[in-house]
Amino acid sequence: MDLRVCVPLGALFGDTLEVLDAVGLPVAPLRDAGRRLIIEVPGGPTYITTRPSDVPTYVESGAADVGIVGRDVLLERQPDVYELADLRFGGCRMSWCTPAGDDPTADAVARFGVVRVATKYVNCAERFFESTGRKAEIVKVNGSVELAPLVGLSDGIVDLVATGRTLRENGLVEREAIFESTARLIANRVSHKMRAAELDDLVRRMEQVVA
Amino acid sequence: MTDPALLPAGVRDVLPVEAAELRALGQALADAFGTFGYREVMTPLIELADVLGRADDQAAGRAYRLFDDEGRVLVLRPDLTIPIARLVATRMADHPDPVRIAYDARAVRPPTSGKIEGAEQRQAGIELVGAAGPDADAEVVAALARALAAAGVPDARIAVGSVALVSAVLDEAGASEVARAALWDALHARSVVEWRRAAAELGCTGPLGAIVSDLPALRGGPDVLDRVAGAAPTAAPECGRMQEMLALAGRHGGPVPMVDLGVVRDWSYYSGVVIEAYAAGVAVPVAVGGRYDGLGARFGRPRPAVGVAVALDLLHHAVGRAAEREGAGVVLVGGADDLIEEATRLRADGVTVVGVPRDCPDPDAVALADGRRHVVRREGDGWMVRDVISGTRSELGDLGAGPWT
Repeated sequence: MDLRVCVPLGALFGDTLEVLDAVGLPVAPLRDAGRRLIIEVPGGPTYITTRPSDVPTYVESGAADVGIVGRDVLLERQPDVYELADLRFGGCRMSWCTPAGDDPTADAVARFGVVRVATKYVNCAERFFESTGRKAEIVKVNGSVELAPLVGLSDGIVDLVATGRTLRENGLVEREAIFESTARLIANRVSHKMRAAELDDLVRRMEQVVA
Repeated sequence: MTDPALLPAGVRDVLPVEAAELRALGQALADAFGTFGYREVMTPLIELADVLGRADDQAAGRAYRLFDDEGRVLVLRPDLTIPIARLVATRMADHPDPVRIAYDARAVRPPTSGKIEGAEQRQAGIELVGAAGPDADAEVVAALARALAAAGVPDARIAVGSVALVSAVLDEAGASEVARAALWDALHARSVVEWRRAAAELGCTGPLGAIVSDLPALRGGPDVLDRVAGAAPTAAPECGRMQEMLALAGRHGGPVPMVDLGVVRDWSYYSGVVIEAYAAGVAVPVAVGGRYDGLGARFGRPRPAVGVAVALDLLHHAVGRAAEREGAGVVLVGGADDLIEEATRLRADGVTVVGVPRDCPDPDAVALADGRRHVVRREGDGWMVRDVISGTRSELGDLGAGPWT
């Protein structure tokens, strides 16, 4: 069977195609995919395109052999997959951000014993506040996280920061960095063994390309 | 009121078709293990949490817990290796070495959402207790290979790693306790990237530096072990032992397992070689195991041991539909009342006879639902046979000469 590669749509899509292209995989059909979600390249790989947060799901379940996904998604989902290579693109930082001015965090802990956090990354946020000895009340939101502290839903947000522009536009500032993230190559546990030589070769070529 | 079809998370009912296939699989595995002399034991579904906790600090935490009348904490067994180690160390303490034990039983663990493995896992496995050498490891690998082939998995692949080898390489690298913890965490998370980051902090250079950095990604044939042994003399004995095991496994006739130093197990009691088996089309290993030399001592009878367990439900996904005898058996109208004697005679000849009363309103429906092809009823001195699949009817003089024999 041909290699099944799970490709994230969205911010990582362009750089992912570049890396795949650089290691010699045919990416033209992927560029011209239109609305198709599965792109089978005759004599080549089969691409499965999904939203980034679903990439680990497809790889873990064996629907795809390998996938490209941000470390942020891996730390949030903690899938049981092999994390084989740091592809170095898609750099960003998971951070705790609050409205500009005095940082409300310490005050919230002192007066109410809890920090109210809005985020898409519930597990990352929970672990971060736990590891820093603070009790957090996590509110899961699915989009426009920046809105939450502005309307009083939370004290701040845990979110990815790339350029910081969205934060500035909404009057938020980064207070504490949680971890750095870049794109990673992941593999299904069984594909990693059944296609050992093929994947080892892929990893080697990708590491050369991004070095 | 709760919906009567509702079950707790992670568990499910097994209906006749699946049950028959699982039983056939279990039998194929048991027979294969039996050719090596492994004998089946059964342990209770519930254990004392204290006793189980001797084996693994996390064992009780990974189990469903309940309480008995005296307030003692009980657990539903979360794996089979621990109860069997307990059984062998206590009930079979006087059995001469080695002890060959097989089992086919269910382990129960609280389910993890999003994981393929259910809360209830059928495991068929073996434990070889009281044998310390690479020959024992090789036998377990060979028995596993034979069992998977017997179960009808044509292209199973087996990989072996070693937690002792990884540990020895880290000794050679002079890793501190803190560094070790970070590296083991990375290995358990299957993150080569994290491992490399943590390994870089050890500051090893030259061949050892290369080996340490690459360790979880090192795999292939026995030559991989030569490289490790050359760069890390402390690990050389374990490398030699693994090579011996691979050579012995090959002589058993099965495929030689692949060496993969990234293979680890999530129970802390594993102490040496670790084993995984894979089948195409199943997203997680269908069998896992390894050497656990320290477990016997925790139950008061120190003995080295090695074993492996096949996850039957997962293996089931890797094999094709059982070649069941299509439409085997016959529905005999009156077989439950007027014609009991005829039914009994046919059964004595090994025919499956479903007896229904003479006034059964729809014997064809019974036949179709259970996958029986023929319905027979008395007609005059002879018999009328109806084939419920083709819809044809035919007369038959002697019941013993029907198309079901």
